[in-house]
Amino acid sequence: MNLKKYITLTRAGIIESLQFRLSTIIMVLGNMLYLIVAYYLWKAIYAAAGTDIVNGMTFSDTLIYLVLATALYNFMEMYAVWEIGRAIQSGKIVLDLLKPMEYRSYLFWSYSGSFVMNFIATFLPTFIAVCIVTKGAVPFGINLLFFAVSVIFSVIINYSIDFMVGTICLFTESIWGINIMKQMVVTLLSGATIPLAFFPEALRKAAYCLPFQSIYHAPLSILLQRNPQPADVLPVLGLQLFWCVVTVVLSKLFWKVSIRQITVNGG
Amino acid sequence: MKHNSLRFYLRIYRKILAQDLKSKMSYRADFIISTIGMICTNIAGFVGFWILFRNFPSISGWNYYQMLFLYGFSLISLTPVQCLFDNNWSLRMNVYSGDFIKYCFRPINLFFYYQSEVFDVKGLGQLAFGIGTLVYAWVHLGIAVTPLVILKTVIFLMTASLIMIALQNAAAATCFWIQNSFYVMDLVFKFKSYANYPITIFGRFFRFLFTFVMPIAFIAYYPSLVILQPDNVPVLTWISPLVGCLFFWLSYKYWMYGAMKYSGTGS
Repeated sequence: MNLKKYITLTRAGIIESLQFRLSTIIMVLGNMLYLIVAYYLWKAIYAAAGTDIVNGMTFSDTLIYLVLATALYNFMEMYAVWEIGRAIQSGKIVLDLLKPMEYRSYLFWSYSGSFVMNFIATFLPTFIAVCIVTKGAVPFGINLLFFAVSVIFSVIINYSIDFMVGTICLFTESIWGINIMKQMVVTLLSGATIPLAFFPEALRKAAYCLPFQSIYHAPLSILLQRNPQPADVLPVLGLQLFWCVVTVVLSKLFWKVSIRQITVNGG
Repeated sequence: MKHNSLRFYLRIYRKILAQDLKSKMSYRADFIISTIGMICTNIAGFVGFWILFRNFPSISGWNYYQMLFLYGFSLISLTPVQCLFDNNWSLRMNVYSGDFIKYCFRPINLFFYYQSEVFDVKGLGQLAFGIGTLVYAWVHLGIAVTPLVILKTVIFLMTASLIMIALQNAAAATCFWIQNSFYVMDLVFKFKSYANYPITIFGRFFRFLFTFVMPIAFIAYYPSLVILQPDNVPVLTWISPLVGCLFFWLSYKYWMYGAMKYSGTGS
């Protein structure tokens, strides 16, 4: 397999994101601000509840879950819908399609550099800040390894869903509306705004049947387990793998069918 | 007719608005999808509240309906910034590509001309949703409806709007100095969701920060106290209309300063 072309794209992405150092600082600041807001908000909420544990989650659990969900979101969000949508509107897509690489993987690998940079520059500082604020409530052990594996699955699922939504732009030529709907569905049903444990029974069951919970809920619930047993972790990872395969296959098929539809206005 | 009279500007605005709406109508699918997307996002915010209050009776002494009041209040106050100042989001691209120079050659106020070019219709869906939420909370809270209360509500809604517009103007204007100011705008845009919570949940330091440094508390909290706690209104609430005007004026000056500094890209 010729790995060189992928690594070249990753390298270019890293160099590109190094150009935008200020945006990284602003992103970390934004994450810290969210950490503060979430800290006080949930402290007030837990104070009102009068108990330490609500729906099986302590205050620190909830805080870690929510802040890291946002950090993961910032790290995984690659604005693929925007990129595809703009490429379609401007006609640039024609040039991308001519490249000797599948468009789907070209887009992914050209983003991979910013994944690496975002992970180091925004996710890690946030992670460390959460560890300090919650005074070591994040368990350190084998769960970190499972968490890393789980995040890789999340990245793939998230990208495939983004790509599918971006493909819809071929038909609608609407980017903003499609993207905001996607964001709304993903952030709510993946537990990124409110942990899934707080959802009412029926809604929670429905959320578990959808692929979105595999993006944020799965890695975070693994991370929060103090002593993860293979019997607990493997089903979660297995489900993620299942959604990986399903979304990758679906997004590839959908693109293949849709690309025949393409109309380009200039370019 | 004098070229700086209000009537002159209103007449121009009407003409530009008609052109903008005509061009929007040619992308009907985009318009419909965007409006649905906007409403969906608001519903998601509502569902979030509902889930939260199913688990917890109150937050920092604020019950479900009071929080909904705050939520509806901030949604309505966000309408002007969404509808009238949406072109701020494109400022970055216009400055980067050099298209911004065309706005500098008109014999009318630069800021006015730039902002008037886009009217975002989907903000009206948000307005309707906000009014619905506010009325629902209002009825359940049993607040008397008198002309004075209505007048107060309108004045303080306008105050909140001015603050939000000021924040967005200032964030957008950063693009005259830094590349990729999208992250600054995105950060400020996230402020609005922090505005949905009473400022009393924060510790003393952050209460100060969110009041005077990043005036998030002025978007909904301080103005809404006039209606929610008429017997116990802090001084900060009464001066908030002044604060709103001052912030707006400052952001306008800052925006214009950046625009005057702009020297084009040479293309």
